[in-house]
Amino acid sequence: MIALRDILIFAGLMALAAAVVASLFPVREGVSPVPACSDCAFKLTGGYWIRQYGNYASLYLGTREAARYGWAYVDGGPLSAGEAAGCDPMYLWVLNGIAYVSCSGSNNPAFGREVGVLAPAAAVDISANPLGPGCAYTADVITNVMNGTMVTLYVYDAHGRLVYSSSGAAPTSFTFSVPAAGAYRMHVYAPPLLDSWYTLYAGVNVVPTKAVVYTGNNTQDLRPAISLKVFDLTGFWKKGYTSVVVYVDPGMRSFALSAPSNAFADFLLAWEDCPTCDPTYGAVYVDEAWRLTFTNHGPVLARVFSQGGYWHKVYADGNLIWAWNTQGPKQTTYNGADPSIDVRFVSPASVMNAEALFTKTCSWS
Amino acid sequence: MWSTAYGLIALAVVAFVVLYAALHAPAFTSVNLADQLYSAKSRLESSLPSLPRTDKPAYFRVYSNIVRIEVANATAYGTSFPAELPLGYKLAAEGNNLLYEIYLDVESCKPVALQGGGAAVLYVVELRQSVDVLPWLAVYYADVNAAAYYGQLYGLYRAWGRPPAVGLDLGAPLSKAEWALVYNATSGSAVLYVAAPPSSPYIVVEDYPLAIPLACPR
Repeated sequence: MIALRDILIFAGLMALAAAVVASLFPVREGVSPVPACSDCAFKLTGGYWIRQYGNYASLYLGTREAARYGWAYVDGGPLSAGEAAGCDPMYLWVLNGIAYVSCSGSNNPAFGREVGVLAPAAAVDISANPLGPGCAYTADVITNVMNGTMVTLYVYDAHGRLVYSSSGAAPTSFTFSVPAAGAYRMHVYAPPLLDSWYTLYAGVNVVPTKAVVYTGNNTQDLRPAISLKVFDLTGFWKKGYTSVVVYVDPGMRSFALSAPSNAFADFLLAWEDCPTCDPTYGAVYVDEAWRLTFTNHGPVLARVFSQGGYWHKVYADGNLIWAWNTQGPKQTTYNGADPSIDVRFVSPASVMNAEALFTKTCSWS
Repeated sequence: MWSTAYGLIALAVVAFVVLYAALHAPAFTSVNLADQLYSAKSRLESSLPSLPRTDKPAYFRVYSNIVRIEVANATAYGTSFPAELPLGYKLAAEGNNLLYEIYLDVESCKPVALQGGGAAVLYVVELRQSVDVLPWLAVYYADVNAAAYYGQLYGLYRAWGRPPAVGLDLGAPLSKAEWALVYNATSGSAVLYVAAPPSSPYIVVEDYPLAIPLACPR
């Protein structure tokens, strides 16, 4: 009489035996071999381990070789020949015949190398504003590094003196103003991502008509081609002079000028009203002398000296501000607006009419 | 009663064995790199029109999935209007087991005389790729007269009120361009030289299915 009880007992004993056998098999008896493939992923449980040989890597189950691959990488790094690694469970990716082993299963290997598209980087975006005092530069340091990176910015003048420095964590923005016209060097330093030098050029661009710009004395008689001499004095003030004497004509007439305070740029304008008067060694380029100073509040045009028998008219930005020997305004100072001012001298001898457009420019490269 | 107890024990043992065997058998999935590559490239292809564009070198240097452009004046019907010229790309897409990156940047564009006579514009394009083993690379030029193409773009400019991008597919047929990919041992990148007719407004570098239009800087 075979009862349900006997069947159950028999099944139980069979199952016990099977369990005993099954508990042994991952160690020695490979029941499910690792398929050979060039691109695949495995989760291996049991005594799997991998050994690197000189020209191939072998995956072992216990002592039995299960598969061969081109090379073995464990947690991102390659195994040297003779090295072995194993863990339980073992995650194994095979890409292009190369075996990538991970014990945690987290670092999923990727085929394809980084060519710099996603690389950590930082860069500077410079912009400049000629309005307001000096030249206002803005250096935006941008980065794709998650927690930012420390960046330091130095600005040196043409003599190598530090005029500005600041540091901060990128992405950040530095704004600084260079007080006087001239060339500056800017160093943006955020190792190892960024180490760049830039040249900043702050200056006043002069567009002359019948005029010429000098940076020192000029006593030549250049009529009728040149009726206006523009003397750029900025460099003398930056050198530390407190006053200068500018010689403007063959008769060695001069103008003594003292240093302005906080000027971005400073010019002396010396104009002659007549193409033939005052023979050589006479008084030329002294009929109107005006000084143009770019201050913190914009360009300021101020009269220094006037003389001569002709009438003169001086226009600033198209407005008549000064009339000599004729009816008209007697304004000796004119306050212009950043970034530019236009100065025009007019006399009855129209061949001597001169004009100069001064524009504050803030550039970089 | 006893029989039921034995039965339950046996069932538990069977369940244990089944579970144990299931947990200890190697789990196997196939990794399809070809599919991953294709889907990464087609994702980039579909996002190409909406990628951010910049004319600032700093932004192009730092960010990825960005297009470097230059806004230049184009002329149509005697009118000048702004158009965006695509000059560089930094594209990246990740698959499960794949990193696809491509960097393209037009270094220069110059007129050259072809050996067989005739003129061409030589595009010099810097090319970097994360996956060198490509199925293939193809280079085309837009087989349309630039004047006619800019006429179409001008319509878009009027309709949109913003500069259209050169390289927009407006139905121009693509013809195979002569090209050469030159690897140089002294620099990390390859240079792609493309000769296109001077009348063609843009070229297309195709890593199928990703098709990238490039124009000449002005």
